Order: sequence, then structure tokens, then C-alpha cells
Amino acid sequence: MFCWCFPGVSLVCILVSIAGKNVMLDCGMHMGYNDDRRFPDFSYITQNGRLTDFLDCVIISHFHLDHCGALPYFSEMVGYDGPIYMTHPTKAICPILLEDYRKITVDKKGETNFFTSQMIKDCMKKVVAVHLHQTVQVDEELEIKAYYAGHVLGAAMFQIRVGCESVVYTVTAWIDKCRPDLLITESTYATTIRDSKRCRERDFLKKVHETVERGGKVLIPVFALGRAQELCILLETFWERMNLKAPIYFSTGLTEKANHYYKLFITWTNQKIRKTFVQRNMFEFKHIKAFDRAFADNPGPMVVFATPGMLHAGQSLQIFRKWAGNEKNMVIMPGYCVQGTVGHKILSGQRKLEMEGRQIVSWILNFQFPALKIPQNNLWIWSSTWLVVFLLEVKMQVEYMSFSAHADAKGIMQLIRQAEPRNVLLVHGEAKKMEFLKQKIEQEFNVSCFMPANGETTTILTNPCIPVDISLGLLKRETAIGPAPDAKKPKLMHGSLLMKDNSFRLVSPEQALKELGLAEHQLRFTCRVHIQDPRKEHETGLRVYNHLKGILKDYSVQHLPDGSITVESILIQATAHSEDQGTKVLLVSWTYQDEELGSYLTSLLKKGLPQGTP
Amino acid sequence: MEAADEWLLQSLRLSGAKWLELFRLQGVGLHGLRGHSGLCQGGRAGQGGSPHRVPGSSCPPHEGVCVAGYGQSDGNEILQLIPPPTLLTKETQGLCPERDFKVECGGFSERPVYSLKYVPNTSLLVTSGPPDSSLQVWQVSAENSDVIKSVSTIATESGTGQSWAKIATISARAPWVLHGSRLDRVQITEVESRKNVYTAASRGSEELSNLAFLDCNTVLLCCATGRLCLADTRQPQSLVEAASVPSAPCSEQWCMGTRHAAQGLEPSSQPVARLSSRGLLTLTDLRKTSELLALAKARVSSPGSEFLCVSWAPALEGYLAISGFDGTVHVYDTQSWDSSGREAEPIFVHRGHAFGGAGGSEDPPLVTVHTWHLQKPRTLLSAASDGSLHVWDWVQPCGKCG
Repeated sequence: MFCWCFPGVSLVCILVSIAGKNVMLDCGMHMGYNDDRRFPDFSYITQNGRLTDFLDCVIISHFHLDHCGALPYFSEMVGYDGPIYMTHPTKAICPILLEDYRKITVDKKGETNFFTSQMIKDCMKKVVAVHLHQTVQVDEELEIKAYYAGHVLGAAMFQIRVGCESVVYTVTAWIDKCRPDLLITESTYATTIRDSKRCRERDFLKKVHETVERGGKVLIPVFALGRAQELCILLETFWERMNLKAPIYFSTGLTEKANHYYKLFITWTNQKIRKTFVQRNMFEFKHIKAFDRAFADNPGPMVVFATPGMLHAGQSLQIFRKWAGNEKNMVIMPGYCVQGTVGHKILSGQRKLEMEGRQIVSWILNFQFPALKIPQNNLWIWSSTWLVVFLLEVKMQVEYMSFSAHADAKGIMQLIRQAEPRNVLLVHGEAKKMEFLKQKIEQEFNVSCFMPANGETTTILTNPCIPVDISLGLLKRETAIGPAPDAKKPKLMHGSLLMKDNSFRLVSPEQALKELGLAEHQLRFTCRVHIQDPRKEHETGLRVYNHLKGILKDYSVQHLPDGSITVESILIQATAHSEDQGTKVLLVSWTYQDEELGSYLTSLLKKGLPQGTP
Repeated sequence: MEAADEWLLQSLRLSGAKWLELFRLQGVGLHGLRGHSGLCQGGRAGQGGSPHRVPGSSCPPHEGVCVAGYGQSDGNEILQLIPPPTLLTKETQGLCPERDFKVECGGFSERPVYSLKYVPNTSLLVTSGPPDSSLQVWQVSAENSDVIKSVSTIATESGTGQSWAKIATISARAPWVLHGSRLDRVQITEVESRKNVYTAASRGSEELSNLAFLDCNTVLLCCATGRLCLADTRQPQSLVEAASVPSAPCSEQWCMGTRHAAQGLEPSSQPVARLSSRGLLTLTDLRKTSELLALAKARVSSPGSEFLCVSWAPALEGYLAISGFDGTVHVYDTQSWDSSGREAEPIFVHRGHAFGGAGGSEDPPLVTVHTWHLQKPRTLLSAASDGSLHVWDWVQPCGKCG
């Protein structure tokens, strides 16, 4: 199994080679770069030959752009026509985010080497949506299965299996006990220890409360499908408990879209949301009402959730422009903002922003046309729309709130503890020193831990399970011999292993010989035992016969007419010694199967015949 | 509503607790990190306390916090954490992008770590813990690795009934560590050469609860019985005893806290505080050791344990904090105290650890250690037996300044 990673803190793209199959996990974009570095360099994968031929499939874990942002570029501009797998919600949401991002990059920033809207559509046509716990047969040997991951709506953990080798890929810390050969996990935050979610929520509430108490307005730009719902529930509970009166609003564009997706994918949401959804409609809160544009001008404190999340357009930006000039107000940014957006600028500390506006400028013109003998003054009103750029001074407080769900040090340990993989691979962006974490994982779980750098290949040895079929006849025959096997006393079976065309069978030796068209060879051993006896051979033979008959009462001892003795299937003959008349040579002969008895008889006879034997 | 949520909302309304951060280090180790006994805060060199400078590195000296586990089995971790930027800056920020502690480096200790101290102006740290009184020396932050490596062991003569050694460090003439488990086994060892530099005269064999360097020539030794002794390292036989603590009907344990010497001030001008497991607090001026400067009683819910801890605020005159009785940390202003021994009212009580609990069935967490932030005046760090690490402050009630 090989595993190979692309660079970057902010993009994920992993190539896994398992039992000859090549799978690409995620295809992310680097949000920090504006040039070609934002996309992975796919020429690493294969120098010649098409990607479609080389890759068996592509799997996307969730809709965040650092995991799927390069997908249209990859499939349409670089060229890939094979299957792309993701969950249904991811398939529904991806194109929206990709288009959104494309608009900002191309329209607003005027970039050219970027994928088009049509490319996004064409790319999505190659997507095969999968259900949770549905085993998808990519081809005869490769199968994949999605598990709930809980990171964002639609996020999934994928298990990739070829024969008995398996790899599990996850970006979060929720997992089943699936015992894969290899667990690949993102480890951007692996050396951090995060503070509790409760603490951040508390801080968020405190900030909102303080602002509202002093009469200010709080703007929270959100993505329709981010943490907005959870924050609403949090505020609702807080408002109820503290008996607060300030209004909380949710912009309607948000509710429609979000409601739609939540209804479609309700089984994907977390417990908290599902509980409230069951009790009432998603956005029928006691204290939270639908927003109307006009409300933004109302005096007094209020809290508003509005889209989009990076303040780059739309309603949230409009509200921001109205409220930015008052230091009593506050804007709480919900997460990472892409470069170029207002959100990014204010989080970087910029407090004077160039804003575009459309200003309707009107002139009132007073014309007189004496020559035309038009007596009255003519008033003409000429209006035109001017594009105006003005400077917005941001006096409102800017706060950042991060509820990132990426696994920290503790999360990663938990993940490994639950999954019980045989090997662990940490995908990391920065060339960080993570020797300590590697040791910790290796010590605690007794597994090998790998942290490959960009472009580095990691080889992992797996122990394959080899299934062997056993012939019924053999099984029946072997179980009939001796006592029945039980759990405490395993029974040893003998058979012949036939390996043909990737199948393994255990059959009886006779059947094996027959199938192979071989004749059975017999192996016979003959041992010479010298005994002192001056009598004639046949008398010695008789003596031996009587002696053995007396001792070996459980065995069949026979005296044959020609003078030889048989003990079961072992033959004993007495012959004269060539030189010494007083010595007789006993020839003891047995087949390989009778080895044990044969050796026993030999040692018995070596002791000699007792004197009194007739 | 759960008690914990109730408390969280309550704390929003309190005039205290401007902001609060909770870090759960639970589950990081194999048997769960039982708690952090060595919570040692570094600071810029020259600030006193336990300064920690990263030598040979191009970045300026930074602050770090070191935590370690004291579980029974081996595999105890020592973690050096870099606090989030919110802690490093003087102004209080609210929601900040970087709220996480970063594990700068870590190591594994075979024995439980009961005491941990940085050696100033070096990249070494010293730990001690059962089963004997030897010390372990570690190298922190090597060039290419983030692993804290064990470097050497400072062995001590083992005797019967020896428990773990208490330690204090200084880098004056050379990096030294003052250590001992009993009053008659106190010595100073040079860290790098492991040579013995000083052995204190024997004045009894009581168990020590802590010891400290006042400066490179003076050491302070506090016994579990409450006995406080001063020794001059230039005169091995000298040992001055300070005024004794009030005797108690039943046995109680004592520990001490000394003020971090701020620049320019004579170390001996700072009073030494002693705290008993019953909650008694005595203050002693080292220039006048024959009598107690002050005596007060803290209102404690249960008798203190082996984790008794008292410390002075580095940036607030006369403020000290105590912990080790339960899941709380108390902060007191001692400036109004006298020798009457009456009950003192705390300025603030931090209850966060008591409400952080994951499961109701577990024992309520016990605060194992606390320490003050070196620059931010009203900020403390405290760790508890459930593996939580809190960083917290309080807002001074109106009418008072500071």
C-alpha cells in the first residue's frame, strides 16, 4: 500500500495505492494563494498517461473548499473522466460553494486561469452520490463505503477495501471500530490542545450580551449551512434564561435555503438540531424572527444573522455598511474568510475600507428656448447611476469566533483508539516537528505512525488474510478419527494444499494426487535387528512371534506360512547372518505411515528375546 | 438546566470572571492524565520566578507552561505548552482566532512527576517523584526535535522512609538545584556536572513540604510540620529558625509560598506565607523572623491534602492565592491582615474546576496546583485532578483600584 500527500496547510489531496488500485482522496484548493499554487500539481501523479487510466476513483469527504475546491480544475482542465464519489448532501452543496468562490475570484478579482460555471456543471455530472453504509463496488475488486462523520452537513468518513486490505480516511474524530490496515487522518491541529467548546460558547454569549446591554447591534455573518442553527439555539436558550428583550433576527434568504437542505438531509444533522427540528420548524424560535431590510435602520440593540459569511456581497455586507460606523456595534466573524473579501480585510485589522456603491445622481436643468417661443421654463430632470467608491471607516468592534471541528491532539488519540488501525498516517501541511506525537501514538497503541512530507511515498506492509476452502470429504474423514474437537483441545488435521488460479483448497492427499494426475509413492523402511540365537531361522521367527504375541495384546500379530511375522501392517522376517551362525538378523519393515509402530517394534526387538521364550 | 450550565451563565453575570478558558487535557495519556502537579510557568529571563529562555534559538525568549502527569504507571507525559496569543498580550482580548495551547514539545517519564522546575538560563528542567528522592534532568527543545529527552539522573542516598524530593532551581554562579525530601537531607547540586555544592546542617528529620532560593546565598526550607528555616549556603552550619506556627490539636500539614523577587527589590523583604491543611495562613517577615507578621484563617470546606499550594501574586502587592482543599482556588488581599487569626474573606474564588466535570459519578476534582501569570496582574493558571487546566482572571469590584 502506498500513500502520498500533497502539500499545504490549507489543501488536502491524498493519493492512495492499495493492492494495485489508485484512489484520490479529496481534491482541495489552497485558499491562501492567488496563482497556480492554489491547485495541487497533478503532474506528480503520472508523467505520461491519462489520469483517467491511472486513477480508479476520486472520493470527496465534505464540501469545504480545501477538500473539494480543485475538483472542477482537476476534472475539466487537467482532465479526468472517471467516477467521483461523495455523499448526497456534499453533491448538493459543493457546486454552490464552488460557484460562489468562482464568482469572487473571477468577477471580483478578475482572475483568468480559473474554471468556469460550465466546468463546475460538467464536473458534477461525473459525480456518483453514495448513501451511508452503502457498499459501492467501484470495480470487481475495489469497494468503498461511507460512514457518518459529523463534521459538517454531508461529511463522511470513507473505508476503501480491496480484498482484505483496507484504508479508512477521515477528517474528524468520530469513527467506528473498523480496524483498518491504515488510518489516514488530517493533523493540522495535532499539536494543539483546544479549549472547550463550552468555553467558546460562553465567550460568544458574553460578547453578544455586553454589546446588546450597551445598546449596540450585533451582526453575525453566517453560511447557510454552517453553525448558524446551533448558534441560534444557543442564543435562544440564553435569551430565555436571562430574560432579554432585544430582538434577534435571521435573514430570510438564509432560512429558505437552509431549511430546504435541512429538510432534505435531516438524518445528517446532529442531535441538537434534530431534536429542535422535531419539536418545531427549524426557524420557529420564540425569540428569533425573520429579518426585513428595513429593520436594519431601527434604533436600539438587536442581533442579526445574515448571509453570506465572508461579508463579500449580499445582505450581510449591506447591514455591515450601515452599522460599521458606530463603535457600540459589533460584528462577529464566524470563520475563515477568503482573501479579497471584506471579512478578510477587517479580520486582518483594516479599519478603512474602499466600498463600491451605486449612487443615483440627478441634475435639475432649467432650459429656456426663446427662439422656439416656448414661454415657460422647462425643467428637465436627468438622472444617471454613477458608480461611486467611498471610504468606509469601521468603528464597530470586530470579533472572530472559531468553532473549528478539526481534531486536536486529544481528538487524534481518540480517533485512533476507536478505529484500532494497524498503521496510522498523519497528513500535515507544515513541516512541523511532530516527533513527540508520533512517539506517543506508537507507544500507546503499538502501531506504526507515518508522517510523510510533500511528494514523499510511504510504504506500508499489510498482512493479508488468505481464505482456504476445505473439501467436505476430508473434513468428514478427519473429524471421524479420534475424539471430537472442542474449543479447549484443537485437533490437528492433515491434508494437501492445492493452489490454483488464486484459489486455495485443502483436500485429502488421494484427491490431490488424482487431480494432479500423480501416482502415489510408497515409502518403506527396513531395519535390521541383530539378536543372539543359534537356532534355525524359522525357529527364531516362531520365538519372535510368541514373544510379540505375548506383549502386544492390543495389536494383531500374525505368523504367516512363510515364517514371517506381521504386526498390523509391519513385516518381520528372521534371516541368518552371513558370517556368524549364532546371530540372527531380524528384518523389520514398515511403510512411512506406520513409522511410530515401526520404531517401537524395533526398539522392543533390540532388547532381545527373553530366555524362556519357546 | 444542569448545574454546570447554570454556573456558566451565572459567571457571565458576576462582576468577576471577565473571560475564562478551559483546556481539557484528559485522555491524553494512556490511563488518562490524572492531573498536573508540576505546573511551572516560565517567563522572560530576569523576571525571576522560573525563567525559561530557549537558548540558541533566533526567536526571543517566550513564555511557556509545563505540565506533567503523576499517574501511577509509567508513560507519564511532560508537556511544554505555548499559551495562545490571548495570554501573551497584555490587553484582554475576547474571541481570538488563536485560542489553543500549542504543544511545543513533550516527553515521557517512567515515574510519576510530583515536582517540576525549569533551570533558569538553560534548556534543562528537573523533575522528581516517587519512589525515591532522586532527580531526573531533561533537555527541552533540541534543534530538530520536539521531544523532551531524559539527560541524566541526580542520585541521592536512599534511606528508609524517604519520599520524593522537593526542588528549587537557580542559575547564579552556575545552574543549581536545591533538593531534599527531609530536613536532614537538603543539598545543592550543580545540574550539569552533578557535583554536590552544599549540604545543609541537620536540624531534624522532618519531611519537607517545599524549599526555595531567596538568592544565590540564601535558601528557605519549610517542613510539613510548619517549621521554617533559613540557611546561608556560605556557612553550612548556620540555620536560623523562624517563628513557629500555632500548634494544632490534630496533625496538620504546612507548606510555604515565597514572593518572586521582582527586579531591584531585596528578596528578603517579601514576607513568606505558610498555609496549613486546616486553612491557617501565617505571614513572616524574614528580616524579623522571631515573630509572625500576620495570622489569618481561610474558610475551607474540607481539610487540605498533599496538593496544598500557596503563592504570591507577582504583580499585585499583598495578594496571594491558595488551593488544594477542593476544586476551588481562593485569592486573598493580605494587606489588611493582622495577627488576630480571624477569618479572612477572599477577594475572589474560582469555581470553574468544580463545574467542569465530565461525569457525575467521578470524585469531584481537586485542584492540584496553581500559579500566577507573570505579567497580567489578575490572571492565574490552575490545574486539577481531572486533567483540566484553567486560565482565569477576575475583575476588581468597583471602589478598589489595582
